[in-house]
Amino acid sequence: MPLAASAIYFLNLRGDVLINRLYRDDVGSDNTILPLRPVFCVFEVFKKTEAIQILSVYTIEILRGNMVDAFRVHIMQTKELGTCPVRQIGGCSFFYMRISNVYIVIVVSSNANVACAFKFVVEAVTLFKSYFGGSFDEDAIRNNFVLIYELLDEIMDFGYPQNLSPEILKLYITQEGVRSPFSSKTADKPVPNATLQVTGAVGWRREGLVYKKNEVFLDIVESVNLLMSSKGSVLRCDVTGKILMKCFLSGMPDLKLGLNDKIGLEKESQLKSRPAKSGKTIELDDVTFHQCVNLTRFNSEKTVSFVPPDGEFELMKYRITEGVNLPFRVLPTIKELGRTRMEVNVKVKSVFGAKMFALGVVIKIPVPKQTAKTSFQVTSGKAKYSPSIDCLVWKIRKFPGQTEPTLSAEVELISTITEKKSWTRPPIQMEFQVPMFTASGLRVRFLKVWEKSGYNTVEWVRYITKAGSYEVRC
Amino acid sequence: MAPPAQSHRSPSPSQPSGKGEVSDLKTQLRQLAGSRAPGTDDTKRELFKKVISYMTIGIDVSSVFSEMVMCSATSDIVLKKMCYLYVGNYAKHNPDLALLTINFLQRDCKDEDPMIRGLALRSSCSLGVANLVEYLVGPLGNGLKDGNSYVRMVAAVGVLKLYHLSASTCLDADFPPLLKQLMLKDKDAQVVANCLTSLQEIWSLEASTSEEAAREREMLLSKPVVYYFLNRMKEFSEWAQCIVLELVSKYVPVDSEEIFDIMNLLEDRLLHANGAVVLATIKVFLHMTLSMTDVHQQVYERIKAPLLTLVSSGSPEQSYAVLSHLHLLVMRAPYIFSSDYKHFYCQYNEPFYVKKLKLDMLTAVANESNTYEIVTELCEYVANVDIPMARESIRAVGKIALQQYDVNAIVDRLLQFLEMEKEHVTAETLVLVKDLLRKYPQWSHDCIAVVGNISSKNVQEPKAKAALIWMLGEYAQDMQDSPYILEGLVENWDEENSAEVRLHLLTAVMKCFLRRAPETQKALGDALAAGVADFNQDVHDRALLYYRLLKYDVSVAERIVNPPKQAVSVFADTQSSEMKDRIFDEFNSLSVVYQKPSYMFTDKEHRGPFAFSEELGTLSIGTEPSDGAVAAQRVEANDKDLLLGTSEKEESHGYGNNGSAYSAPSYDASTTAGASQGHFDLVSIDQPSTLHPPSGFAIDDLLGLGMPAAPSSAPPALLLNAKAAIDPSAFQQKWRQLPVSLSQETSIDPQGVAGMTNPQALPQHMQGHSINCIASGGQAPNFKFFFFAQKAEGSFAYLVECVINSSSCKVQLKIKTDDQATSQAFSELFQSALSKFGSA
Repeated sequence: MPLAASAIYFLNLRGDVLINRLYRDDVGSDNTILPLRPVFCVFEVFKKTEAIQILSVYTIEILRGNMVDAFRVHIMQTKELGTCPVRQIGGCSFFYMRISNVYIVIVVSSNANVACAFKFVVEAVTLFKSYFGGSFDEDAIRNNFVLIYELLDEIMDFGYPQNLSPEILKLYITQEGVRSPFSSKTADKPVPNATLQVTGAVGWRREGLVYKKNEVFLDIVESVNLLMSSKGSVLRCDVTGKILMKCFLSGMPDLKLGLNDKIGLEKESQLKSRPAKSGKTIELDDVTFHQCVNLTRFNSEKTVSFVPPDGEFELMKYRITEGVNLPFRVLPTIKELGRTRMEVNVKVKSVFGAKMFALGVVIKIPVPKQTAKTSFQVTSGKAKYSPSIDCLVWKIRKFPGQTEPTLSAEVELISTITEKKSWTRPPIQMEFQVPMFTASGLRVRFLKVWEKSGYNTVEWVRYITKAGSYEVRC
Repeated sequence: MAPPAQSHRSPSPSQPSGKGEVSDLKTQLRQLAGSRAPGTDDTKRELFKKVISYMTIGIDVSSVFSEMVMCSATSDIVLKKMCYLYVGNYAKHNPDLALLTINFLQRDCKDEDPMIRGLALRSSCSLGVANLVEYLVGPLGNGLKDGNSYVRMVAAVGVLKLYHLSASTCLDADFPPLLKQLMLKDKDAQVVANCLTSLQEIWSLEASTSEEAAREREMLLSKPVVYYFLNRMKEFSEWAQCIVLELVSKYVPVDSEEIFDIMNLLEDRLLHANGAVVLATIKVFLHMTLSMTDVHQQVYERIKAPLLTLVSSGSPEQSYAVLSHLHLLVMRAPYIFSSDYKHFYCQYNEPFYVKKLKLDMLTAVANESNTYEIVTELCEYVANVDIPMARESIRAVGKIALQQYDVNAIVDRLLQFLEMEKEHVTAETLVLVKDLLRKYPQWSHDCIAVVGNISSKNVQEPKAKAALIWMLGEYAQDMQDSPYILEGLVENWDEENSAEVRLHLLTAVMKCFLRRAPETQKALGDALAAGVADFNQDVHDRALLYYRLLKYDVSVAERIVNPPKQAVSVFADTQSSEMKDRIFDEFNSLSVVYQKPSYMFTDKEHRGPFAFSEELGTLSIGTEPSDGAVAAQRVEANDKDLLLGTSEKEESHGYGNNGSAYSAPSYDASTTAGASQGHFDLVSIDQPSTLHPPSGFAIDDLLGLGMPAAPSSAPPALLLNAKAAIDPSAFQQKWRQLPVSLSQETSIDPQGVAGMTNPQALPQHMQGHSINCIASGGQAPNFKFFFFAQKAEGSFAYLVECVINSSSCKVQLKIKTDDQATSQAFSELFQSALSKFGSA
């Protein structure tokens, strides 16, 4: 069941159409049976009397093939919004996703491939971002709508996804803002071989790139997800990591990346028939790679070798559940003293190296809605009460390793009779970034670059660990 | 320039419709049309952008069509694209104008720049104007043979577009064989992929009518073709890989060796960053190994890690799509995932749709070794998060309990929930405790002790209240206060809105009475009196039944109302295994997300509760169950009945819809009350005479002898045109325009309702009375029909909406007509026709 999208819509939060592109006629405008479809759903959702009223206004819209109104009426303007990203209205299914202040909606009338649809949206957004210089929101769409129409034409034909690679599309879809303005449009005509590459086998890299200085940047970004019980035992913990790469390399280089993962090392020692070096090795639960990585070779030799796209891309993703080094431990004690007072003590321990430090640490400690007054004492950073999220927010800009600052707070509550029991104690949440630290212990052992011209390359490697969903129950 | 921020969805007086602006644009464009001055293109660009931005926000700019076409003679590719976009949007509604564009599109199809050739070809195929198809054949034929792969890629999809516009033109031009050639030899992977998608669609659609197409479709699944695709797998883009993998999943290998070869070849696809590719690969693996149990299990083990990775990465929407698939697999083989239960723990900030799936999976994977952890975690959710989540979590705990793992600990937890004193928690838990007791009666002592402490005033939700009342009745002898609590509830009979609760209350009082007669006597009397006077048909009937049972023989009543019960061993499953297999067949598609097979949401017969008939006067639902699909749906319906049946089991032993058992017309309450036996005196209904009028009335009602019967005796003056006809869309329009001239409630003969199991029956019956059914739909017990009739002389039409509730035998009528004067007469005619249904 392929994805055969009938239409794609970009809406703002109020439901105004920013962009719409109909790919197939099978939603709405066929006047035999199809226009009636949304009518059924009106009956389904509303009571009869309302249905008749809505029907009159509504069928007319539908007859115009305006599926987006169905989306507005049934999803955006109801409580349905956010309850499920896939919804069926009449005979059509709507997949929608919110990205910053824009809804992207895909409409299909067949039994489509859902995963493909969402991945398509995500990839399309990545593409747009690379065209708009990083941001994707309502303004960016309004400012670039002609470009988006052009791109939508290229990335999907008759509802089937085509080429979405920014590197290739940028060769022949150029507009203001990205490339030179149009005055020189004779030069802007696509290079003869651009169209060849549009569909070519190495779809992610074009030939003939030259850089004065050949550089590669590697970023290992990990997010730690933690769920800890109030008693301090780890309920669930894993790390999802990705290796981001920025390549400025000439020609068609062949790269090989070595990590300290167990399988790779074992295989290597096997091949070289010498015992594996001692030192920490880690076990990756699962890995996925960018399409440029030679997967067959990874399967047989366990090496990551690839011809990289030009510029920035995500080389691989991995997941680890065993042997995770948690950067922080949170020890909360929350006492409810009678009906109107609470005592909150939170100690946060940094368990990474003393020479390292974490940045942007934010600890959110939930308090009941009826909090009236708070007073704090912190040994480091600043704390305040934020009524909009019902939390004590404790911020520490720079948090050195092997330290344990504490917060003690007194919270006074407005006394209420009924709602006392209803405070549900949401978990304490934490945000942080720890540079040069990996929760998984993953390290890059080598990155080799071969190119026939044999130039020298400079490699830069950075590590950073961020909080994913870092929750401690209290 | 950006489009104006304000949306203009439809032109209305308050919003400038853009008319002024549009005519401005028109003149400006006209001036530019012929100009060759330098800089013209830049100006044009601005104007075109304006046009497109108006078009986007819904202002009709079709009036500048000819100017746009005139301006399209340009070498600027961006201008061309905007023009194509514009033309593509409006050509369909202005076919005549579209003819104007064909000229320049054809010219562009021969441009020396392959980009422009491709774009022009794509745009001309996208026009969607049926009478222009003849102009497509030539360029498409050239496109397929074009030296540039970009053009071929566009042409391959173009053929499919042409097919949808005019299948015959496409087939006559012999495009499918051309595509096939291209698919098997083109060196460009994207061209090959597009050929494949086009061919798949064309041949699947043709297969029903043409044997040759069916053969060709089979050809796509033949060994050489599948191997050809497999060998080129790595050349394809990620999206094309999805399509190829889908094809491979349908291929049937000859032996296990072949299966292993294919799986080895594809194993690396599981490492692909694109989740859609991974899922497509998983589908291939799962389907190929279906017949090899051991290997199938290994496949599960192998795909676990990639699936779990996909779930934890990406946006919530993406992980929802993957989770739905994981959910399906977990349900099929829970034991394989039982050690991974921690992956299904919910995070605080996850959206509810993700949490719900995770809860389901936690429930499914619970076994002896992990029940404790899972239940502990679920209890966290009960206390910690929002109400829907808390409810779902309690239900999950209950489900685990019913799976028979470590029930002891779970019962304790459930009872702790009751002590949390939160209304929604108590409500949900009560329902569960009830189910639990039906399965494990041995726990009754522990449960009753806690349940007895719950004040019925704190329980408001009907389901929970019904559950509590059930327990009060069922365990009357163990609960000291039971009769008094029930009595209190009976006193508040009038305030109880839910019929379900009142039904349960009746039964509970009855049970309690049979065990502790002296204490319950008053309550029973009050309850029966209130029940008989109740306006709800079911409550009324049940009260009457109990009353007569008691009067007849208390021991019989005891046997019927309070028989010895067997514990329920297994609660019925909601979905048949056949359905589940169908969904599994459609892995990696919407069916998995909706948890129902695709025919239920894509076939028009099954779509939504209301299906409009396509042909006049015939029904679209309930077509002959010629295909297995319909049968399967029936199966599901039965399953649902089963489920309902179990929850009502105890109460409905002697109780049914069969009116004949207790509706003897000769019955007279006042006389029999006088001659009542000793037992009946215990009941001592204070004022037996008050029973009389309502019961007598009700009996008439039951027999359908009420008002509807009356008009049938006198032949109506109104004559209807026996050959009245209207097409559904005209009906719809009329229905919209006319006001409701008559709205009425009536009832239908229960025997007629019985006849409604055949959905054709009522429309056929009504047609005999010159009333045609336009559309019908609904599921038991609610059915809805739209009828149409016409006066014999004159063209006055009557439109009727008729909603029938088959369980209460109630009918709601809405009549619309353009002849108000005869609407009453028609209504009588209609009702008389309806009342004859089933009795004839």
